[in-house]
Amino acid sequence: MNQAFLKSLRNIYPAERLLTRDVELLPYESDALTAFSAVPGAVVLPVNEAEIIDTVRLCHKLAVPFVARGSGTSLSGGSLPIPDGLTIGLNRLNRIKRIDPEQRIAVVEPGVINLAITEAAQPYGLYYAPDPSSQSICTIGGNIAFNSGGAHCLKYGMTSNHVLGMRVVLADGAVTQFGSESIEGVGIGPDLIGLFVGSEGLFGIALEITVRLMPQPELYRTVLAAYDDLGRAGDAVSMVVASGLLPGAMEIMDLLAIKAAEASVQAGYPDAEALLIIELEGEAPQVEAEFDQLRGIIDQSGAFETRVANDEEERTRIWKGRKGAFSAVGRLSPDYVVQDGVVPRSRLGEALVEISALKAKYQLDVANVFHAGDGNLHPLILYDGREAGALEKAEALAGEILALCIRLGGSITGEHGIGMEKRDYLPAMFSEEEIEIMQMLRLAIDPNEIANRGKMFPGGEAPALAQHGMHPLERAGVISRE
Amino acid sequence: MTVCAPASVDELQTLVRVSERIHAIGKGSKTALHRRVNGAVLADLSALSGIIEYQPSEYTVTVRAGTPVRDLSAALRERGQYLPCDPLLPDSATLGGTVAGNLSGSRRYRYGGVRDFILGAEVVDGMGRAFRVGGKVVKNSAGFDLSKFLVGSLGAYAIMTELTFKVFPDVPRFRSLAVDYTSLEDALAAIYFINQNIFELDALDLIPLAGRWRLLTRLAGFDETLPRRVERFSAAMTHHTSLLHLAELDESATLWDPLADLTGAYLVKVALSPKQVPAFDHAITAAQRRYGVGANVAWVADEDLSQLVDALKACSLTGLCLRGAVQSAIIGAPLENVLAARVKQVLDPLGKLV
Repeated sequence: MNQAFLKSLRNIYPAERLLTRDVELLPYESDALTAFSAVPGAVVLPVNEAEIIDTVRLCHKLAVPFVARGSGTSLSGGSLPIPDGLTIGLNRLNRIKRIDPEQRIAVVEPGVINLAITEAAQPYGLYYAPDPSSQSICTIGGNIAFNSGGAHCLKYGMTSNHVLGMRVVLADGAVTQFGSESIEGVGIGPDLIGLFVGSEGLFGIALEITVRLMPQPELYRTVLAAYDDLGRAGDAVSMVVASGLLPGAMEIMDLLAIKAAEASVQAGYPDAEALLIIELEGEAPQVEAEFDQLRGIIDQSGAFETRVANDEEERTRIWKGRKGAFSAVGRLSPDYVVQDGVVPRSRLGEALVEISALKAKYQLDVANVFHAGDGNLHPLILYDGREAGALEKAEALAGEILALCIRLGGSITGEHGIGMEKRDYLPAMFSEEEIEIMQMLRLAIDPNEIANRGKMFPGGEAPALAQHGMHPLERAGVISRE
Repeated sequence: MTVCAPASVDELQTLVRVSERIHAIGKGSKTALHRRVNGAVLADLSALSGIIEYQPSEYTVTVRAGTPVRDLSAALRERGQYLPCDPLLPDSATLGGTVAGNLSGSRRYRYGGVRDFILGAEVVDGMGRAFRVGGKVVKNSAGFDLSKFLVGSLGAYAIMTELTFKVFPDVPRFRSLAVDYTSLEDALAAIYFINQNIFELDALDLIPLAGRWRLLTRLAGFDETLPRRVERFSAAMTHHTSLLHLAELDESATLWDPLADLTGAYLVKVALSPKQVPAFDHAITAAQRRYGVGANVAWVADEDLSQLVDALKACSLTGLCLRGAVQSAIIGAPLENVLAARVKQVLDPLGKLV
């Protein structure tokens, strides 16, 4: 690593927060997409905004690439280190600066854990809505970079829809602030929050974030319906949508995913080809009435078994299998890759049939778990990395699924982002001119292309795919690839 | 003033390329936004109108930017759906103008504003390039989200030609209640109570009346559940807030039009937080005003802008002038211009779009 750069870093950081020895750097070599790894030149652990700003300005001055990292739960390789670049670990900026329950907002630092906001808001009857499956460990800074979603996006949106204001340092060291404490966010002038959130760390680093909190629903009604055919579960979703109900979540799991969940957390799921979970939420009288309607629809939909959560414990049990499905798949296969494509909801059935055909073609197992309400598929492609060429085969199958999503009029990513993993597929979704405009925008903000260099845009140097198996936290069931 | 009405995206691209300065207009419902810039061509987008694709089962709709809000609302209503960001001028605005101005009505309270319901767009930028931003499905996180950036952009970065929105099923019935308080402080305390409670209101506005402050509230839902919900809500407000009076109001066409009583020559939108309301309100007591979206937006009308501009500056707030003769539609505290300037540099380096 550039010695002049390291020397300047030592002026900002004490030795214990500037990591340069191999043994200290190794833990940072991958994020949750363990198929990629790269050793950074150094890792710094700032404890305040000023240190972050000084670091970014230094990187800009000496054209040293950097990646900002929270807990490293990106599923697209978004927080993969840049070889010989700097990794800026933000976990120590983990203060919730203020909760204002009256205005339903929280002001937080970027290293605050997603779930910690909800925990801090709970005493006031409030919560932070976006709920990626890694919410017990992922940070709000990472959620902002990748516009993270979760199972409950249909009604209240993703991270971008819950950020009201932010102060950021852009990649060239400029510090700027936009948004407000109003629910309108930016309100007047172009929505800079909407532009910054989801920019995958290419624009800069969020230093302070104001998020909106939501009142905890008075009542949840969660129903689990079992089908002997995956298509029927998909049809049930269409029936619910056609009825005019707007559930908070609609999730489908297929046979393989159900088996995995059973093996892992013993959720007590029925033995079925497909399971559909639907959750209604809101004011009790309204939810009860909607639930009557939903029951009628489910009864007509050909479900052979229906279970209703009558209390919070039963609700947690239904969700436990679903939320743990990904890590559970690790019990069935030594390795897997997960995709995140989106298709129009009405074409879910078609997509599943094609994925099934691809399974046969590649002779690989694929477990399907998806956010049916918004057409967001999460096929898990199982393979054994010890077999030569197996990973490449799985990646090829994954690529065909992405192409399928685009062909059906959807997107290559609903919530994981492009990152390292899908950058070669960006041209399948955007024209050359559109990508060029995005690149010009990046250059206007980051002339040296130092912020998260090598991500989102196709081409460039990429570390080779390597076989690393599951993320240790994933194996432990703490996080999952949703 | 040259006015051109391009009949296609191609024609708009050519128009941008040959013009030195150009300003896009839909139906011109927000007169202050269309300040006359010397030598600027006025690009009338009303010919770029119509619903391109509406799939009720997908909760998505794609329209040309010059489509009147009224036309889209009617099409959605036929299928029991609506645009929850609730465009502010339902009878006179286009969707392009609604996005460019970031203008939502009172029902925006329930599910979110324009930024929360725009999914993608096609635009022509200041270089005459036509391209797509965002996506067409309800969930997408590929590429930079320039579609949200268009919200509030006033056509100064790119001219929208096509817009895709997320839509939701609408609820069949409404009940509106007026809850009156003697002071602004009491009324705001009631909003804070609601904010931390379980009631899911469809809309919540705050209106100064002679000698009292009114919370105008609305519940939406099924016929069979509304009586019980109204009863519970009324009881909670009666027991937990120091109200003066509570009464149910008849739904009328103007009850939920936040601009209905704002007749002054100038009309301004201000985004503010509830806790900024007392100081701001104190400085504009002579103006006609209504606070929308749980007191997160102020609609202010007056015969003269000077008092309002002073109040905005004193409170570090920015306003968007929708009606009245102004040099610049943005008034009060200046906007952030670091990041926005970088976008301008890329999309409109020659500064054609005004």
